[in-house]
Amino acid sequence: MTPDAILFWILAVVTVVSAITVVLITNPIYSALALAMAMIGISALFVTLNAYFIAGVQLIVYAGAVMVLFVMVLMLFDLRHELQAFTRGKISGAVKIACVGMLAGLVVGAIYMSSSSLIHASAAETMSSVDATKQLGKLLFTQYLFGFEALGVLLLVVAVGCVALARSKGGTHEHH
Amino acid sequence: MGHDAFQITINCLKLVVIFLMMVQAVPILVWLERRGSGFIQNRLGPNRVGPLGLMQLLADAAKFLMKEEFFPETGVKLLYYAAPAAALIPGTLAFCAIPLSTPVHIEAFEWLGQSWGPYTFLFQGFDINVGIVYILGISSLAAYVILMAGWGSGSKYSLMGALRASAQIISYELALGLSIVGVILMYGTFNLTEMINQQQGPLNFQFWGHTISSTVSWLPNWGIFYQPLGAIIFFAATFAESNRLPFDLAEGEAELVAGFHTEYGGFKMLLFFIGEYGHMMVASGLMVAFFFGGWSIPGVSFDQVSSWASGATSSSSLASIFTSLIFFVSFFVKLAVFMWIFIQVRWTLPRFRYDQLMDLGWKTMLPWALANTILSALFIFVAHS
Amino acid sequence: MPLGGIIFLAVFIAIFGALMLFLGSRGGTRVYDPVKFEPYECGVPAQDKKDTKISVKFYLTAILFIIFDIEIIFMYPWATTFKDFVKSGNGLFVLISMFVFIAIFIFGLFWEVKSKALEWD
Repeated sequence: MTPDAILFWILAVVTVVSAITVVLITNPIYSALALAMAMIGISALFVTLNAYFIAGVQLIVYAGAVMVLFVMVLMLFDLRHELQAFTRGKISGAVKIACVGMLAGLVVGAIYMSSSSLIHASAAETMSSVDATKQLGKLLFTQYLFGFEALGVLLLVVAVGCVALARSKGGTHEHH
Repeated sequence: MGHDAFQITINCLKLVVIFLMMVQAVPILVWLERRGSGFIQNRLGPNRVGPLGLMQLLADAAKFLMKEEFFPETGVKLLYYAAPAAALIPGTLAFCAIPLSTPVHIEAFEWLGQSWGPYTFLFQGFDINVGIVYILGISSLAAYVILMAGWGSGSKYSLMGALRASAQIISYELALGLSIVGVILMYGTFNLTEMINQQQGPLNFQFWGHTISSTVSWLPNWGIFYQPLGAIIFFAATFAESNRLPFDLAEGEAELVAGFHTEYGGFKMLLFFIGEYGHMMVASGLMVAFFFGGWSIPGVSFDQVSSWASGATSSSSLASIFTSLIFFVSFFVKLAVFMWIFIQVRWTLPRFRYDQLMDLGWKTMLPWALANTILSALFIFVAHS
Repeated sequence: MPLGGIIFLAVFIAIFGALMLFLGSRGGTRVYDPVKFEPYECGVPAQDKKDTKISVKFYLTAILFIIFDIEIIFMYPWATTFKDFVKSGNGLFVLISMFVFIAIFIFGLFWEVKSKALEWD
């Protein structure tokens, strides 16, 4: 067992256990914190794939911004009453089993289809990370420039939409 | 981490030493803060315990050890106890990525009948290629500690304090991230060691193919001369990141009792303060690395020091260690200057109101940081085309 | 990238913190008084109003932070490669395209300030 393999197994176990915790624990705050741990685990897995910039961005954006939003919003509500909600009944049970079956089929199919391309994945390790970031920058401005600018407009649309939503719904906003 | 047992052991030991150094810096900083604040406020500060009051924090730590342990019954046990332990992690992980001095080269030597090859030990915790992105990512995890502490305490004052503190932290992370873009534009890399290497030597500009060197030879090539506005915005944003005055509304005594650490006493409170001073050290270290040349000494180049050291000592390993120590002292002096500025500002400026604080972050710092980015880009474009 | 070092240090600090907490809890006296366990509210008994409303501004701050943070992240690869582009002669093109992006950013910021989305937080 090389050190790389041990590292991978530790990170994989941490990430998968956190992800399972997200689904199984009923307390929503613990769920959100476990999801943050899973995001940190995924960032570490990116590092083992030599994608250092993406790992850092995953930490900054996902673990540091999106999950903080989740945790903050969950703390705004007092969700102790919703913890007992759990749907029962035959139809909902059948729907749940069907969804789990479809998801399992999707995962098995994806693993089967992509297992043939694992042999070619080792080519990514030869790139050093600073070159990868510079290459990303160069690609962003030459080949994907339109997508880059469109992304700016998309983010603007999201900002406008969120502000509009928060004001019209009322929610817990105090009017003054 | 290393190829053989010696290297792995030394690297692990180095990480532990850096962590303990940060923890041990807290008593000195607290003493400095209490004596310094005393003199700023025209009183003496603690001077009874030990010479000049230096044993004060030892006495405080012993007092904390004997405080009663309590747990508010409306709290959540796991989060309440996990938050102080996790408070030390973001600051230490970020501080380990800052280069403290030049690398140490050890020649091959014989020990225990086996020859251990030539080693190069970096004088920092670990060297990260995407240094700045990693440090920003780890610092943004500090918001979780505050939220866990606020929720785990189970009282609405703690929760309000925690939400306001985390909203303040994430607002100033924007200004922080944006003020660094100017620095990255100038040096063209994320790596902190690279940036410090580019800040060696006297001040020189590249302008339209000509190199303009400054006539004053002791003026070093530091980042502060290229990015003054970026340095000011960065420094102010780090005040908000580490919850120091004038941005410490989350801990303000008159406003929210003590914010998110209301329900903590004894050692748990001490761990939060170690975390806050850890963030202060990271902020000072980053200021030194980006804008003040890191470990370099103005007017003296690395080759001069290393040749003097190898002339003064016998083996080249010792010379390398000696050079690194000299540069580490230089880094430490600069770090101490910035931490003193942190303390001085705390006891000089009044506290901001919360809406003034958020307005400052979104409506003043963010536009100025954008202006700084645009100006830097224009300047580089004009100077290098 | 020394991932092993980072994980080792994080685990070490967690154990160290837990040890410090344990030491702190062992050293003190234990006088049982139920008043000590109530949440602090300046001395009066805690009034637990079930309908404490917390402002929606926290949510807006976090959402706008995510948006502007992603835009700042996009400036990082540009910042590393800008000098190379300028030296190779394509500086004007890259400068203008980034300025368009920054203009959209400024427009978003300006609109958000003008619509008073983050007033009085």
